[in-house]
Amino acid sequence: MMFIQALFQNSFLQMALWAGLLASVASGVIGSFVVVRRIAFIAGSIAHSILGGMGFCLWMQRVHHVEWLSPMIGAFLAAIASALLLGWIQLRFRQREDALIAAIWSTGMAIGVIFISLTPGSTSELMNFLFGNILWVSSVDLLSLAMLDILVLLVATFYYQRFLALCFDEEQAALQGVPVKRLYFLLLCLVAISIVLLIQIIGTILVLALLTIPATIASLFTSRLRSMMLLSCLFSAFFSLFGLGAAYELNWPPGATIALLAAFSYLLSLLLKRKKFA
Amino acid sequence: MTSNHTLQWSDIAFSFDGEPILHSSSFSIDSGTWVGIMGPNGGGKTTLLKLLMGFLKPQSGSIRIFGKPPIDARPQIGYVPQFLRSDRAFPITVEEIIHLGCLSDPTKKSQTEYWMERLGLLPFRHKPFGALSGGIGQRTLLARALVADPELLLLDEPTANIDPLSGGAILDLLQSLKGKKTILLVTHDIKTIVERVDQILCVQGTISAYLPNQVCEHFAMGLYHTPLLELPTQHWK
Repeated sequence: MMFIQALFQNSFLQMALWAGLLASVASGVIGSFVVVRRIAFIAGSIAHSILGGMGFCLWMQRVHHVEWLSPMIGAFLAAIASALLLGWIQLRFRQREDALIAAIWSTGMAIGVIFISLTPGSTSELMNFLFGNILWVSSVDLLSLAMLDILVLLVATFYYQRFLALCFDEEQAALQGVPVKRLYFLLLCLVAISIVLLIQIIGTILVLALLTIPATIASLFTSRLRSMMLLSCLFSAFFSLFGLGAAYELNWPPGATIALLAAFSYLLSLLLKRKKFA
Repeated sequence: MTSNHTLQWSDIAFSFDGEPILHSSSFSIDSGTWVGIMGPNGGGKTTLLKLLMGFLKPQSGSIRIFGKPPIDARPQIGYVPQFLRSDRAFPITVEEIIHLGCLSDPTKKSQTEYWMERLGLLPFRHKPFGALSGGIGQRTLLARALVADPELLLLDEPTANIDPLSGGAILDLLQSLKGKKTILLVTHDIKTIVERVDQILCVQGTISAYLPNQVCEHFAMGLYHTPLLELPTQHWK
């Protein structure tokens, strides 16, 4: 109850709520593609390699005084670069892809850790990226999230059939004239952009939870990708809203509370599903 | 180079990681014929189909389908794989899968109803793919391959792992398409198709073409359990 009262009075909480709801659209739609295409490991690798870009840009700002090179720019560049690299690796080295993805995952983090250690002064803003802080979002962040949602919805609507074909049966899609490689890189870039914006809410370490759990729960209750996306958006919004409320009441970190609520709900939905078909 | 040929395969050699899979060989297939493809596992049957669809490129030789390179001929090719790599829980229905066969020509979506009815899929149209039996699943993939009305149909063991009744229904449908489409069917169960096909390709590193009656002779000799390709080629010629 305290949360609902505070929501009407506290503008930070109102911003956080809007951020959670806006993030739900991107995480629901892109998360569904991540789950059905089985690229959660790739998404995790992109999320963690972002640290390298952020650490480098923070080091450039503090040590070389390149003020315009903000950690956010570093995050975007690292996310897109690692998405393209991972996509190329997956298409080129199918048999060893898991080991190569893991290598990029840890290399990105290692670069980040080294630059952070070389950067003088406080690096507390990187902590917000690592663990997320939904109460930290600004009106610019909200605008970015809204624009991402529009982009994601436009691309997903326009390319829906082709993405469906790519995720279901890549060979058949190619036979039908779908440019599967270009489409796959487009999907990975959308995943990368979504991750960069979502980490402001839930953090690098927990972003996979928001990207995969709502979509996985949705997949238990529908046999159409379109409905899965819609359900996934709703579940994601539910976790953001109630996670934020629970975090406020319990004085827990919001990102971790949202991830935990999502994981608990997944367990519950698995049990419900099992009971239904027992 | 006559236009009557659907497929011309000239001196193709293909190797993977330095390991030769298909040696130099040549053959052609006339339009409207049904060709059975047989051979042992690892002999190159699936490689042959992937070369025909342009997913693999030969190191030497040339493939022409309707007089064009395989990639350009893709809109005229329908393909039924042996199995799908996507997981059974993928959220997609029978009708949606068949619609995916019309991506290159969305106007063909109107044919979905016809092929669902013809293949007995109407009761399953809204069923998730993962909930289907093997036979219904294969019929769905066949409908996806046929909905865009391709001139060349490639089938990679479509009757493997399904019951004889469902397998028979698929073969009966292919029989009805004989003369209208060129069909290449990979199978290990040559006995079920030997009386239906016009030609048999034996693939084991190299590709040899036989007439069905030559294969029938093989069976008549009581050699049901002797792989055709273990016999010297001269036995057939």
